[in-house]
Amino acid sequence: MAKDILGDANLHFDELNKLRILDPEVAQQTTELKEECKAFVDKIAEFQKIVGSLIELVDQLAKAAENEKMKAIGARNLLKSIAKQREAQQQQLQALITEKKMQLERYRVEYETLCKIEADQNEFIDQFIFQK
Amino acid sequence: MRLKTSLLKEPKHKELVSCVGWTTADELYSCSDDHHIMKWNLLTSETTQVVKLPDDIYPLDLHWFPKTVGGKKQSQAESFVLTSSDGKFHLISKIGRVEKSVEAHCGAVLAGRWNYEGTALVTVGEDGQIKIWSKSGMLRSTLAQQGTPVYSVAWGPDSEKILYTSGKQLIIKPLQPNAKVLQWKAHDGIILKLDWNSVNDLILSAGEDCKYKVWDSYGRLLYSSQPHDYPITSIAWAPDGELFAVGSFHTLRLCDKTGWSYALEKPSTGSIFNIAWSVDGTQIAGACGNGHVIFAHIVEQRWEWKNFEITLTKRRTMEVRNVVNDAVDLLEFRDRVIKASLNYGHLVVSTSLQCYVFSTKNWNTPLIFDLKEGTVSLILQAERHFLLIDGGGIYLYSYEGRLISSPKFPGMRTDILNAQTVSLSNDTLAIKDKADEKVIYLFEVLSGKPLGDGKPLTHKTDITEIALDQKGLTNERKIAFIDKNRDLYITSVKRFGKEQKVIKIGTMVHTLAWNDTSNILCGLQDTRFTVWYYPNTVYVDKDLLPKTLYEKDASEFSKNPQILCFMGNQVTIRRADGSLIHLNISPYPAILHEYVSGSKWEDAVRLCRFVKDQTMWACLAAMAVSNKDMTTAEIAYASIGDIDKVQYINSIKELPSKESRMAHILLFSGNIQDAEMLLLQAGLFYRAIQVNINLYNWDRALELAVKHKTHVDTVLGYRQKFLEDFGKKETNNRFLQYAEGLEVDWDKIKAKIEMEISKERERAAATPAVRTSVTVQR
Repeated sequence: MAKDILGDANLHFDELNKLRILDPEVAQQTTELKEECKAFVDKIAEFQKIVGSLIELVDQLAKAAENEKMKAIGARNLLKSIAKQREAQQQQLQALITEKKMQLERYRVEYETLCKIEADQNEFIDQFIFQK
Repeated sequence: MRLKTSLLKEPKHKELVSCVGWTTADELYSCSDDHHIMKWNLLTSETTQVVKLPDDIYPLDLHWFPKTVGGKKQSQAESFVLTSSDGKFHLISKIGRVEKSVEAHCGAVLAGRWNYEGTALVTVGEDGQIKIWSKSGMLRSTLAQQGTPVYSVAWGPDSEKILYTSGKQLIIKPLQPNAKVLQWKAHDGIILKLDWNSVNDLILSAGEDCKYKVWDSYGRLLYSSQPHDYPITSIAWAPDGELFAVGSFHTLRLCDKTGWSYALEKPSTGSIFNIAWSVDGTQIAGACGNGHVIFAHIVEQRWEWKNFEITLTKRRTMEVRNVVNDAVDLLEFRDRVIKASLNYGHLVVSTSLQCYVFSTKNWNTPLIFDLKEGTVSLILQAERHFLLIDGGGIYLYSYEGRLISSPKFPGMRTDILNAQTVSLSNDTLAIKDKADEKVIYLFEVLSGKPLGDGKPLTHKTDITEIALDQKGLTNERKIAFIDKNRDLYITSVKRFGKEQKVIKIGTMVHTLAWNDTSNILCGLQDTRFTVWYYPNTVYVDKDLLPKTLYEKDASEFSKNPQILCFMGNQVTIRRADGSLIHLNISPYPAILHEYVSGSKWEDAVRLCRFVKDQTMWACLAAMAVSNKDMTTAEIAYASIGDIDKVQYINSIKELPSKESRMAHILLFSGNIQDAEMLLLQAGLFYRAIQVNINLYNWDRALELAVKHKTHVDTVLGYRQKFLEDFGKKETNNRFLQYAEGLEVDWDKIKAKIEMEISKERERAAATPAVRTSVTVQR
């Protein structure tokens, strides 16, 4: 009966006959729970570590991707500007060519008149010889 | 000709360069948006910072104070005006001290220019105002005001007019109030830059429509360029007005004054905002948009004469090429070559300090003498000597390097003389005055004194171009000139007291040139190329002139061709597009000239018979009459079918005395006064009276008769006969008066005439006439 009284007063004896406030069963369960919890926390910590490294990795990847992207954009722009540069160069060369062409045309006209003079003079010489 | 450009690797300025200006031929100042003023020394290739302007001054335009002030020459410019975007202009000394800052415009001051004398400054601004300032920066007047910004301004050659932009228009406004303003639409876009040359009086304009144009001072378009890829941002005349430079984005162009382009460069400069020519006209500097200052000098100029071809290969080196044997000589000079001229077997080269005279026979030993002043602006050559013009005066040197003379006239301005306004022959120098365009000053070469009575030759309208003939006697020196109306006149340079005759021989003449070896003149008349084989014809027999011409269609030469030279029997013409055209003319007239100058009349006649050309005969006729060789003249006139003239010549031959023959020869060429004077001097009064009677010059005949108290009845008799023939009545009071007391008796008159003639004959026999000047063969 004493047990029940104790039980009523929420006092218990454990196996070693020590007085306990908590029911030994519950106490055991609590301990179990505690251990389980610890295990759980450990696992979670580990998980976090793993996830952390993953995130880091992904971050690195992202950075690398970003870099590559910038590079690609730069390259593309460069390409575009080179095309423009070429165009400008072409334009400049074209202008120089036009200039040379004009000079050539001038020389051509001069050459033609000189040819005409040569012909005139030859004719004159022939005539002169003939008349003599 | 082309430009050799040089650009530093790194720009010296951090921002765009807005303006540049030369102090001497080797020193340049540049201003930039980074507020620095830099000095560039080309001799040492050093660039130093002169001053850093306050941060709120953004320079826009720079102009050095002119060197010549009141005839006194300063060795170099001492200060300059700098306009800036804050509405001020600053007078800054050479060492960079800001002497004065003047609040000038509302908004930026876009340009500032000193006039040629340095007595006034004009500034223009974004507020559309044009303001004139004194030398010290005091406001004199606001010349004009308009609603749009004025981007550029220039002074007229006489500093009495101002040219400025107004949007797409150009405006010339005289400084005098109420004077006529000239305004015209010049471009399809806004005009950015303009320039007005004082030597050739031509205007340049450049605009956002990507074109540059050349105008004359009346606003007539002479040249318009093809559109470029970018707006033309700068344009500038060379000081001598022969060339100009054009700047645009990545573009620098060198052009001839007629507009066509000598050379194009495509340097990496960005836009060239300002171009400045060095004082000697051999270099240009450009203010570049990317902070650079580009320098360029002119190389590969060419000179040709007969079989020699000379090229300026480098600044100080010339290459002489003899085309006949392909021999090449290199001529090295100590300094930069500024001007050169090759003609009459001599090459004259002026460098910044010395003058070199080479003979084409020997290229190794030039004659060298020092120049008084550096920059020679013009070299002209004649057969015996040459002429140098620099800022200080006109100097004539012999090819031995001896100074012959240095002609001067009041108000002379040598900086604006060019080949069109100065002409040199072996004995005479002619200079067209700029102050009065109607006047030509004539000088004797040997003494440097004005010719004859010292009075200059004055024409009734403005003269544009003059040329002296090169050969023949000093007494027969002729000058041909073109006036504003494009009429070609010829006149004798020597005058003997009496009014000299200025005779018009052509109209619509653009350009002319005398031959170098004989007095043949060629010119471009409207659309025809004309050669006057013997221009002197006008003084001998005017009717003959059209027969002594050679004409050729010149429409193939396009608009505004220029004759460059007329050497031997080859004429070189430059077309408006820059191409050279060579023309051949017949060699015979030159040979004829040679025979005649040697009085080889038989040879001349033989030549004409050989050539069988009317023109040649006409020339010979005129030459013979001019030299009073009537036998040849008779043959020549007979050959061109002028029977009336042949008859007259025959009648001259029958005249009894030398004097009357001379007089009739003069009459033949229309010199009535001279003929009469000659007869009167010889005491042949009857002849003189008869001459006037034959010309129906009754009053003069009667006057002579009365004065010398003989043959009054003869005059009256002929007069009566004349009136009867035409069925008229005497109305002349003098004749009525003398007729009263005189009876006309024809027998008596005839007897008297007979007597006169026999008397003349006797006299001629008594004094055996020296018939050198008049060869009359019977």
